Amino acid sequence: MSLYSNLQAMLAALFRRSHAENDMDEELRAHIQNRADDLSRSGLPRAEAERRARIEFGAPEKFKEECREQRGGFWLETLWTDVRFGARLLRKSPGFAAIAIVTLGLGIGANTAIFSVVHAVLLRPLPYPNANRLAIIWSQWGNETRGPASGPELIELRRRSRSFEEIGGIWTSLGTIMGTAEPEQVRLGFVTANLLPLLAEKPELGRFFAAGEDRRGAPAQMILTDGLWRRQFGANPEIIGKTARLNGGEFTVIGVLPPDFRLLFPDGTNVMADVQVYITFLDDLEKRDRDTGFLRMIGRLHRGVTMQQAQSESEMIATQLRGEAKEYAEQSLHLTVASLQGEDVRSAQPALISLFAAVGLVLLVSCANIANLLLARAGNRSHEAALRAAMGAHKGRIVRQLLTENLLLGLLGGMAALGIGWAALKWILAMQPPGIYRLIAVRLDATVLAFTLLLSIFTGILFGLAPALSAARGDLLEILKESGKTITAARPWLRQLLIVSEVSLGCVLLVGTGLMIRTFSSLLRVNPGFRPENVATFQISFPWSHYGSAVSINNFMRQLQTNLSATPGTASVSAVSHLPLDEGLGNWYSYYWPEGAPVQQQNTLMADHRAVLPGYFRTMGATLLEGRDFNDTDDAEHTHVAVVDDLLAADAWPGQSPLGKKLSIEDSPSGPFQFIREAVVVVGVVKHIQTHSLTSQGRAQVYVPEPLAPRPATTFVVRTTVPFETFAAYVRQEVRKLDKDMAIANLRPEEDYVDIARAQTRFVTILAGALGGLALFLACIGIYGVTSYSVAQRHREIAIRLVVGAKFADVRTMVLVQSGLPVAIGVFVGLLLAAALTPLLSGLLFGVRPSDPITFAAISVILGAVGIAACYIPARRAAKVDPIIALRCE
Amino acid sequence: VAGQAQILPGTLDLLILKAVSLGPLHGYGVLLRIEQISHGALLVEQGALYPALFRLVRKGLLKANWGTSENNRRAKFYELTSAGKKRLREESEDWNRLAAAIASALKTRPEEV
Repeated sequence: MSLYSNLQAMLAALFRRSHAENDMDEELRAHIQNRADDLSRSGLPRAEAERRARIEFGAPEKFKEECREQRGGFWLETLWTDVRFGARLLRKSPGFAAIAIVTLGLGIGANTAIFSVVHAVLLRPLPYPNANRLAIIWSQWGNETRGPASGPELIELRRRSRSFEEIGGIWTSLGTIMGTAEPEQVRLGFVTANLLPLLAEKPELGRFFAAGEDRRGAPAQMILTDGLWRRQFGANPEIIGKTARLNGGEFTVIGVLPPDFRLLFPDGTNVMADVQVYITFLDDLEKRDRDTGFLRMIGRLHRGVTMQQAQSESEMIATQLRGEAKEYAEQSLHLTVASLQGEDVRSAQPALISLFAAVGLVLLVSCANIANLLLARAGNRSHEAALRAAMGAHKGRIVRQLLTENLLLGLLGGMAALGIGWAALKWILAMQPPGIYRLIAVRLDATVLAFTLLLSIFTGILFGLAPALSAARGDLLEILKESGKTITAARPWLRQLLIVSEVSLGCVLLVGTGLMIRTFSSLLRVNPGFRPENVATFQISFPWSHYGSAVSINNFMRQLQTNLSATPGTASVSAVSHLPLDEGLGNWYSYYWPEGAPVQQQNTLMADHRAVLPGYFRTMGATLLEGRDFNDTDDAEHTHVAVVDDLLAADAWPGQSPLGKKLSIEDSPSGPFQFIREAVVVVGVVKHIQTHSLTSQGRAQVYVPEPLAPRPATTFVVRTTVPFETFAAYVRQEVRKLDKDMAIANLRPEEDYVDIARAQTRFVTILAGALGGLALFLACIGIYGVTSYSVAQRHREIAIRLVVGAKFADVRTMVLVQSGLPVAIGVFVGLLLAAALTPLLSGLLFGVRPSDPITFAAISVILGAVGIAACYIPARRAAKVDPIIALRCE
Repeated sequence: VAGQAQILPGTLDLLILKAVSLGPLHGYGVLLRIEQISHGALLVEQGALYPALFRLVRKGLLKANWGTSENNRRAKFYELTSAGKKRLREESEDWNRLAAAIASALKTRPEEV
């Protein structure tokens, strides 16, 4: 039969169903009448003849059903019948329907929410043209494998590489823009002309930088983000081609970026998503120092070139470069090419995958719960199934009907899940998950909807299969003979097994949750080497026009320090070039060695360099271990001095006091970025401060007085006793008094930065806590339901026990032990599973081992206690059975 | 009745096609016709006839029309379509070949081996 006629038959069958039914009825009736005619002709009385004819014919419903199966569109028709029948059943038991739909809604909804995040972050390509061909190229500096490139390095790589179509670079800093509104401090991106076209199709307005506009002598031009254009220029399209002041200089606005444009650079690049103004390097990159790395490189591969090929080629080029210039050799230059997308999600991936696994576990627990509910119903429904079978339905047909009902339940649960998932997603996004907030538009899109639909169908089959098969089995006569009330629970072992599995799955999840909670509490206890409480911070950047020299920058900073110190409640004021735990400014690190060290020792050790005002250690609450802090005379004119941390001291002069020793470092006493190498005298040792993360120690640190290394942007730190908002007003006022065109940014407590450093763990811990709680709740309901049900089934048995002399307490203990056993087994299996699985979490853990005995013990106690409590209520009810009533009921 | 045999699985369709090929029949008529042409040797379960008839109609081998039976009852009459005729021819040949092969196999005596 062709597809067309099949379809026609199907539609005909659907719409003319009753006609076809009547037809069939009439035909079968005619057959019986014909037969009866024959029989009565042979002498039987008419009534007897008709009776005989009917008996000879056999069970009409069975044959009718077989006939229906031969008709086109049969499956669609039965599906519709089954769906209507299932809906009717659900309406008749609203309690069951509500519990099942809510349980499923929670289970599937949690998956919907987490999947939308996983999909947006891990699966969807970055919002850039040809995103799959974009790579980040890391430069190795000493033992830092993810470092920035120097100017000549980018130009050489671009010149020699055949793998990349384009290689662009960016360096970010702070700047002050003066549009039509108040002066505003912005993140400033210095880019090669080809960088922006790698990351956006086209600008919203105007144009990108043209090739060659990133060289010495090129015009001063800038490109703005949509947000800044609206804020500073009132969204005026006429601005294209006009000039505006940036850092005191005149720049022509040549373009505005699309509203959704964002920089999505990996963690550790110090390139933040919210760079608002882009300008080009106005000098020739190839003429910059080979030993000053600052550029983050993005490359676009030629079509058909793999990351691997680009990697091998780049490494070959790195080898050539090391042979050609001593700076590259000293740097021990290597190049690593990695997919931009992969690197972007690197830090979020383990957390998201763990959470995705956790919601999977929650869903399995939900399924086990519903399967248990259905099994309880199956006890009652086996009578119905037996009756249908007796009337001629085959087993396949009964199983199909039950499966359809379960699919219906699954889909209703899926609908509830969309609502729950939507709410959960809003809640998740409100937490601003780190590493995720950068990625645009996490939402319930078509893929997520399809995922939810598939999951609903899958769960409908999963939780429905066992009960359906079990209902379709069973001896017809046995079931029909029983009075319908006393039918024993379908396969009690199956129900126990479901309890064991849901308790063990819940246990795994709870152990994971416990480990995350322990991790977060370790994080809260970390001593980062400073005391962030009551420290307010803000950033300023110095417009080049007014603050070109080291002296002018230092004068302003010292004056602001003095003025702020005089404000009420201020204990101490200082400034630092890179605030601990702030990743928003390009880091500054380089080689150091004890003066006079042999050449082979010279380029081995690296330290983070920090330029500070006097009083920095006191203000931050750092611990000065030896020597002294900087004072007012530690400047370029006097002896050049430094303070080192204990890590550096131990590496450079193991077993000796570093005080008075000479240390070779890079600084820039004559102005920003004019680096020289010189020897400074160590005057103090401070305890190491965690600068990049709370969980890893990071590089050693060397501190120099601000006049030895002025920077175009700096961060003030103030220890104050007044509320933050009050202090913020003082800051605005004092800065404006000194320079009305100076903008401040990121005025916030240092504790904010600490919170950000804890954010990922906090996020995972909260979600794991919610999921663990949900699993515990579901398992609890499951245990309670099964125990209640078995008690109800055993009323008669319990009554008899009581009559023959069992005490109430005995009955209670019996029920408790029998119901508690699967819980105990579940906990045991769960602990074993958890022990096998938790090592996978080790990337997320801190300060706690994956096999942490305290967590394992606590979870078994909690789960055991909750399990016993869930058994206890029905057990007490069992003991209260009134034997007379129970026995009379039968 | 002595000497009656249950029909082999799969042969019901062939018997129905044959019965109908001798002239249009209603369901009960098919039953009687099979009894008649097998000289009462083959027994068809009455109800089981109808799913088979529906199946043959669905496969396009039979077509059905309402008419009036010999004793003035409304009845559905089945007749062969051209596809049905072709199928009957093919299946008869197949069956005869098979029957001959089995018969010859069963006739084998020890000295012929």
